[in-house]
Amino acid sequence: MHLPLLDQTPEQRAKDAAPGFMLTKLAEWSRDTSLWPVTFGLACCAIEMMASTAASYDLARFGSEVFRASPRQADLMIVSGRLTQKMAPVMREVYDQMPDPKWVIAMGDCASCGGVFNNYAVVQGVDKIVPVDVYLPGCPPRPEALIDSILKLKAEIGKGKR
Amino acid sequence: MTTPPGTLGAAPAEPVVEEAAPPALPALLAPFGDAFPVAELGVTQDGIASIRVERDGLLSTIRRLRDELGYIRFIDVTAVDDPSVDPRFELQYLLYTMAEHRWVRVRVETGESVPSITDLFPAANWYEREVFDLFGIHFEGHPKLVRIMMPDDWVGHPLRKDYPIGGEPVDFTVTRAVYATGDRRG
Amino acid sequence: MAIHTERTGMDGDPTTVRATNPEVRTSETIPPTERKRNLMKMNLGPQHPSTHGVLRLELELDGETVVTCNPIIGYLHTGIEKTFEVKTYLHGLTLTDRMDYLNPLGCNLAYCLAIEKLFECEIPERATVARVLLAELTRINSHLVWLGTGGLDLGATSIMMYCFREREKLLDLFEWMSGARMMTSFIRPGGLADDLEPALLVAIGEFLDDLPARIDEYEDLLTENPLFKERLIGIGVLNGDDAITLGVSGPILRASGVPHDLRKSNPYIGYETYDFDAIVGQNGDCYDRYKVRIAEMRESIKICKQALARMPGGPVKTANRKVMPPPREELGVSMEALIHHFKLFTEGIKPPAGEVYLPVESPRGELGFYIVSDGSGQPARVHYRGPSYANLQVISRMAEGGQLADLIVIIASIDPVLGDVDR
Repeated sequence: MHLPLLDQTPEQRAKDAAPGFMLTKLAEWSRDTSLWPVTFGLACCAIEMMASTAASYDLARFGSEVFRASPRQADLMIVSGRLTQKMAPVMREVYDQMPDPKWVIAMGDCASCGGVFNNYAVVQGVDKIVPVDVYLPGCPPRPEALIDSILKLKAEIGKGKR
Repeated sequence: MTTPPGTLGAAPAEPVVEEAAPPALPALLAPFGDAFPVAELGVTQDGIASIRVERDGLLSTIRRLRDELGYIRFIDVTAVDDPSVDPRFELQYLLYTMAEHRWVRVRVETGESVPSITDLFPAANWYEREVFDLFGIHFEGHPKLVRIMMPDDWVGHPLRKDYPIGGEPVDFTVTRAVYATGDRRG
Repeated sequence: MAIHTERTGMDGDPTTVRATNPEVRTSETIPPTERKRNLMKMNLGPQHPSTHGVLRLELELDGETVVTCNPIIGYLHTGIEKTFEVKTYLHGLTLTDRMDYLNPLGCNLAYCLAIEKLFECEIPERATVARVLLAELTRINSHLVWLGTGGLDLGATSIMMYCFREREKLLDLFEWMSGARMMTSFIRPGGLADDLEPALLVAIGEFLDDLPARIDEYEDLLTENPLFKERLIGIGVLNGDDAITLGVSGPILRASGVPHDLRKSNPYIGYETYDFDAIVGQNGDCYDRYKVRIAEMRESIKICKQALARMPGGPVKTANRKVMPPPREELGVSMEALIHHFKLFTEGIKPPAGEVYLPVESPRGELGFYIVSDGSGQPARVHYRGPSYANLQVISRMAEGGQLADLIVIIASIDPVLGDVDR
């Protein structure tokens, strides 16, 4: 668990004791420890995403307790699978419906760059449609890789960088 | 097979398979020979009998296959595009008989349109829509011939040979050439 | 008693509305003046937790009753069939894993069988038996995902955890074998990519010894569970004749009482020499489909054990140097071997001109690749006949007249994989 306040020296604490500092730190901590993804499984990577939520690789212990079906209640979109031209406007709409702050993980090669499918039907990387925070290569990436990407994202959020 | 290399397997005048293919050739094609005396018959390497018909004879052929010869199960409709031949498209219908556990292939050549078989086989509905979407072949009498795979406002028919593969060029010499022209054949 | 109304649906698809309740309101029985007031047009998907992928269903609802259900697909259309035409046959093999992504080895198998038919080449016995083993393990894998996600759709979360637990063991075995958990591309034209270690075969045997007890666990949870039965029995009925005409295949066809299994009727890779049953249901409802798939898992275990018992020694790659490269030891000593290797990896394999359609029995039904070769290193046309495409067409027939909650159960029982539908 990432507790920035306990890691600081007293000097640092005094230096950073600006008004609102505690609340900001509290907000960052709460955001990074309960990242709730929206169910956005598109293709094969979605199966590995489901495997990472299952018992062997339990994603819930890192805070992603539930995958929310409604984007209004989620803050993380894990785009798992190939995004096609027909699905792109739908994805943008789902992304727009998520309230701030929100993050996007492009899971897999197809989401990151179009993957194996360099053709007319697949959008060559979801960063053409939504801003991506973490790119996760793999076809499909292992559940541990997905967990690693979520932990990296949490570290960034916890430091207030995202 | 005696089809010369370099030509599409979907060439006209389907040569018959040598003795090695089970079951024996006359037995496989005999029922079709009686029912369709004017159609061109053949067997492909997979042992599936194929019947080549004209566009006008398509519906009656399929109806007779279903009602008289027992091919009651619909499997597939697809098309093959060869722009070097006129007409460029060859449609392939695949049916199956539960009694003899065998497939039959019906071929039709067309440049533009064929009658729809959805009245005979409702399952052909989506298959014909897909062929329309990806090849541009029109199926007359189809209840709702609209695009199924591509977005509704897509222009062009992607699986035609003159439609480029699309995508984006990648920094390797082979793929740059491929994805620019859409044709890797050299 | 069921009431049948033949009618043409909203978009022209001929459908039959079945209802067990004579009071059910369909778009025919609701008078026009009331219709606009009562029917709600709603979208299910394409982003939805229960649609098994990016499936969109356009629904018209009268309260909770589904009046019309119109599936809209294409949200995962990846243009794979066109991509095959610019790749060599071996590059194309990696695309086949990603079509029916819950049955990757089965897709590999169908593709390789078609290519090998064009070549008419000899496949060694060990490779054939190993292919049977892998195809059946993949069937178990697919049914585990179906059961887990299907249970999750119904609200039974524990079954998902149990099934994925077993699946993890299976994926570990695939990873041991090939290096990849899901997209192994292990079945290659001409045989297998690599040999199977004896230790791996022992581990597969241990997994198979464990599995029947686990399936008993799943059955304990679900089969006699009154809630489960209430939600599945009598739902989504499809009778045998309709199933045949509509091109449905696989467990859906068999659950409707039609004893058709390609492994029995048109056997390939030696299935006629294995002792197993094709499981057939009676009522064609969701419960029968569930029972058929559970029983199929047990039959697959039987087949796998027989395959393990009869696994012969020998090579796993064909000796035909036009299909498979020579072993690497030879490259240092033989010029022909070097040239073969070079040509195979630059120009690719070149099947003789012809066309082949050779379907296999996938966990979803009849899966076949129709390959047209013109004798060059790239196919002229590859068409994938996916079982879920035909299976999904019948969803409007099954779901209309029923409740919205039943629609979810019906989708789960059809077990569509959208990669298979849209390719």
